Amino acid sequence: MFVEVVAPAPGSPPPRAARPPLGRRVVAGAQPYLYLAPALALLGVWTYRPLAQTVQLSFYSWNLLPSTPMTPVGLRNYQRLIDLPDLGQAAVRTVVVIVGLLPFSVVIPVLVGLVTRQVRDRARVVYQAMVFAPTLVAPVASAAVWQWLLDPGAGVVNKVLGTRLNWLHETGSAQFAIIVITGWSVLGFATLVVSAGLAGINGDYGEAAQLDGASRGQITRWITLPLLSPTLVFLVLMTVLLSAQWTFPLIDTLTQGGPARATTNVYYLLWDYSFHSYDAGLGAAAGVLLFAAFGLVAAGLVRLSERLSFHDD
Amino acid sequence: MSRIQIESASKRFGEVTAVDRICLDIEHGEFLVLLGPSGCGKSTLLRAIAGLTPLTEGRIRLADRDITNIPPRDRDLAMVFQSYALYPHLSVERNIGFPLRARRRSRAEIQQQVRDVAEILDLTELLARRPRELSGGQRQRVALGRALVRDPGAFLMDEPLSNLDARLRTATRSELTELHRRLRSTFVYVTHDQVEAMTMATRIALLDHGRLEQVGSPTEVYDQPASTFVAGFLGAPPMNLLDAQLVSRAGRLHAVAPGVDMPLDIAADLPTREVVLGVRPEHLSLTGANPVLHGVVRLVENLGSEEVAHLVVGDTRVCLRGQRPLSLAVGDAVGLHSAPRHAHLFDRASGRRLVWRDDHAQVPTAPAELDLPAS
Repeated sequence: MFVEVVAPAPGSPPPRAARPPLGRRVVAGAQPYLYLAPALALLGVWTYRPLAQTVQLSFYSWNLLPSTPMTPVGLRNYQRLIDLPDLGQAAVRTVVVIVGLLPFSVVIPVLVGLVTRQVRDRARVVYQAMVFAPTLVAPVASAAVWQWLLDPGAGVVNKVLGTRLNWLHETGSAQFAIIVITGWSVLGFATLVVSAGLAGINGDYGEAAQLDGASRGQITRWITLPLLSPTLVFLVLMTVLLSAQWTFPLIDTLTQGGPARATTNVYYLLWDYSFHSYDAGLGAAAGVLLFAAFGLVAAGLVRLSERLSFHDD
Repeated sequence: MSRIQIESASKRFGEVTAVDRICLDIEHGEFLVLLGPSGCGKSTLLRAIAGLTPLTEGRIRLADRDITNIPPRDRDLAMVFQSYALYPHLSVERNIGFPLRARRRSRAEIQQQVRDVAEILDLTELLARRPRELSGGQRQRVALGRALVRDPGAFLMDEPLSNLDARLRTATRSELTELHRRLRSTFVYVTHDQVEAMTMATRIALLDHGRLEQVGSPTEVYDQPASTFVAGFLGAPPMNLLDAQLVSRAGRLHAVAPGVDMPLDIAADLPTREVVLGVRPEHLSLTGANPVLHGVVRLVENLGSEEVAHLVVGDTRVCLRGQRPLSLAVGDAVGLHSAPRHAHLFDRASGRRLVWRDDHAQVPTAPAELDLPAS
């Protein structure tokens, strides 16, 4: 007679261990949140509370004096922003600054990064330190130095170029000067980011492409740049969102938004409304609009970067 | 024709010599496996053939053309990387078509050839996918497809199966052998896996510390290992190696050590000589007239069809492999038998194989003559 071989018997679950007392479970459960608490508290106090207050302030008229009461004005601040030409003009100038900075924050760093890929070891560290140095110079200090360099009378720039331009006080050249100086200080940071991005690309792809018969140019165009695109989107995102902030200390030191508002971008305008014109409500309303607009742009770019990142596994 | 000749190739990285004066003549249509432990220089040698690592010294020829200083893209070689190096941003179709696109072939031609290759490798369904959407085995086939698509002079493969699970590896091994048979092209294949080498190679080149230890067919390197390194590398478990003395007793040679007395069936009267005696685990048995080894069982492993017994002979570990059951228990003192023809002798100092020649009084050591071309 055949007897079937019996499968190993499934066990019955052992009795549950007694749960620890409620107090201890609460403490254990709260632990990760306690670790997070300091960072969350700072974020709340310094970012989200001011944001909420800005939104609140944008519905009031107030001249920043503690003794003056805040008057609720509903949507009138927003109405004024739309009626005044300032915001639109500043937005256009901001776009000019962003576009003007892209060569410094993306194009040149990529070229430099590709060319200097062969630099290795100690030479690489030295070169990166040198490239990064301008980023470490305090903006106000560099502004002072550039003011001397761009001086219409004795400035080195005019001497070298053989021009007699009053760089910072003519509408055409002031914006250009601000862009170039900002670009100079951002270049090093962007180059480091690109170098890191290039170093993160597995060398096997380039080698495989070489054996597949691709030329250097083809490898750069078909392999390296597409694999670098998440880094490039990150740099574009930084430029779009932060260029107005990067230029702010230079504008405030060198041109104060002039001449004839030629260097007044949205951030400077916002600051001008609130702290020069003492129209806190209008400044806050401009801030809220900017927050919304930049938020949308950022969301778009983040989505783009997610689509472009190739999980390399 | 795509014969690859490596002439005295060396590669040094600073103080480290990764490849040391290697000479290899790889005939057209061979499946040559570069085999050795990690760090033996096999991958460096393959990369040198590919042109990815320039040689410090020496010369490489492909089809009688000196390619030593020719960039990889002009070498007419295809390579499959251990990581597969599939371009992550391109679809399977574009990955396979990449070598043709780099050569500026027409779109229609690329499409046709990619489809042909995909057909062979059973990838047709996957052409639109990105590499990250593929399993390990599928990625491996795409990497192979990218190498196949342009009919290269030779195929270079750097441990292409090491990222696959055991079952897939076995299946892919036979597929690669089949592919080689069909293409009749030259394959140079790097691995540390002796099973891959034994099953696929027409010839195996064993490397250690950047030096060539032995080149020969799988049968040759297994049956006549040229050095203690080769003997101790091939086989699972590898050959038992025991330090012994070669002594003449009544006009016949014996290999003698504590617990060891192996007659060699050679009639000669020689002065005593320090040697290494090698016997494969499967050539030891528990039955016979005169035991040649005496040992104590330390461990018995059940492999399913066979058993491996680990014994201590003198102070050396010795393995015995045989049909299950061996009927041995830990602590048993047993005598092991083997035929004289199963004894391998190596010089103690150099580690090279000793071959008996009747016309010489002295046993010769001959590393050079062992670099025989494949039959």
